[in-house]
Amino acid sequence: MTQPQANTAPTVLKRDSAFAVQCRVLHALILRELKSRYGNRRLGFMWAVIEPLMFISVFVAGFHLIGRSSQGGVEAPLFFVAGFSPFFMFRDIFSQVKSGTQGQQSLMMFPQVTRMDILLSKLIVNALISISVFIVLMLGLYVIGFQYRIENPLGVLIGFSLIASIGLGMGLVFGALAIRYEFISSFSEPLLGRPLFLTSGLFFSASVLPPNVREVFLYNPLLHCIEYIRTSMFVSFDSRYVDLPYVVIFTLILNSFGLMLLGVFERQRK
Amino acid sequence: MIALENVTKSYGLGDQTHRVLNNISFSFPYRKSVGILGANGAGKSTLIKIIGGAERPDSGRVIRTSRLSWPMGYSGGFQGTLTGRENARFVARIYGAPFDEVERKTNEFAELGQYFDRPLSSYSAGMKSRFAMSLSYALDFEYYLVDEALETGDARLKEKFRQIFKERRQTSSVILVSHNEQTIRKNCDVATVLHQGKLHYFDNLDDAFMLYRKILFKKIAA
Repeated sequence: MTQPQANTAPTVLKRDSAFAVQCRVLHALILRELKSRYGNRRLGFMWAVIEPLMFISVFVAGFHLIGRSSQGGVEAPLFFVAGFSPFFMFRDIFSQVKSGTQGQQSLMMFPQVTRMDILLSKLIVNALISISVFIVLMLGLYVIGFQYRIENPLGVLIGFSLIASIGLGMGLVFGALAIRYEFISSFSEPLLGRPLFLTSGLFFSASVLPPNVREVFLYNPLLHCIEYIRTSMFVSFDSRYVDLPYVVIFTLILNSFGLMLLGVFERQRK
Repeated sequence: MIALENVTKSYGLGDQTHRVLNNISFSFPYRKSVGILGANGAGKSTLIKIIGGAERPDSGRVIRTSRLSWPMGYSGGFQGTLTGRENARFVARIYGAPFDEVERKTNEFAELGQYFDRPLSSYSAGMKSRFAMSLSYALDFEYYLVDEALETGDARLKEKFRQIFKERRQTSSVILVSHNEQTIRKNCDVATVLHQGKLHYFDNLDDAFMLYRKILFKKIAA
């Protein structure tokens, strides 16, 4: 079937500022990522909720076995949701950003799509998903009868944002290093995952640690963020160890360092 | 305007560094179709990737103020799990074009029928290239980037696109990379020859071919 000539006229494209183009590209990338992740699978988002739910259940059961039901004045399930959700957000953003720095991203065949756009869209998509999972879990707990009132929603948001930027920074640094030194990518995840999993305060609060251990753990900015999120969430939880300026400075240095490394190693990409 | 400013690109590390593009400055002439000739391994594909922004030069910059297509024939940027329609919509979105119109035209050109609403991964190679081509013709680019080595499709399809492109020649140009003189002669007004990291420009196609033959001959002789 041949089409009449008149129909072959192209769709006229408009010219926009660089900023408008970048917003458009990010918008398109985010929708595309969401659609290809969850578009055709009904259970897609459910899985994102189930994974932290399983971890939390195991820890709640463990606490129950040793005869405890709360930590720092917060009921165990609430305490764990406030710890695991941010941590999983960190882990997902870290690994997605890291993988986004690797290889020739096929999307870059479009002239206006840059690597930065791809990394930013991954950051935004994962942050949105993690926060949605967190909200679903908290609502779930409310529905099954846990009573709580979010003390300081803005603080919770700040805590999550800091976690996201640490994930971004770590992803940039390790991703950039992995371009040049391939072995980095094979052991960065277990090496980072285990120590950070154990020291970020997922299942304890800083106040229960022995002072000398605590001093070491407090170098981990994730611990500060999680303590801060819990402090902002629960009236009865109040951490004396949160040092936000430390986290902010750490994050700024980490991200600048990551961007610089990526710039340097980008050239050496084969 | 599409222009290269002091573009340099090397591959490899240390002693084995190979400078593929060496400080190239070139402004693509307005509304002219430009052929880029080069022997195998001269860096043609690298050049087209840099013009199209898929790769960044080590130094220098590329100015793209005209509406530029992605390199035709590349289909890696399309998502296999999404349908043709969804991919078309994504591309319309990044170019800021109305997507219902882009979707409709793409499907008209590509004649995919119901497959337009099936995942791209279920397409045959021919369907996929038909889809990619049609999508690019549904948008109004000033420059089409074409890597000849990657062009595929059956004869009827090629003829159809040639027709569309003929009409489009009034408003758009091609930047065509090829090692084949005939392809360049058929599609281009002017030509450049890429050799040893430099781009040599000729207003006259025959002069370009002369240099190109000399290079090829030397290569065989050596």
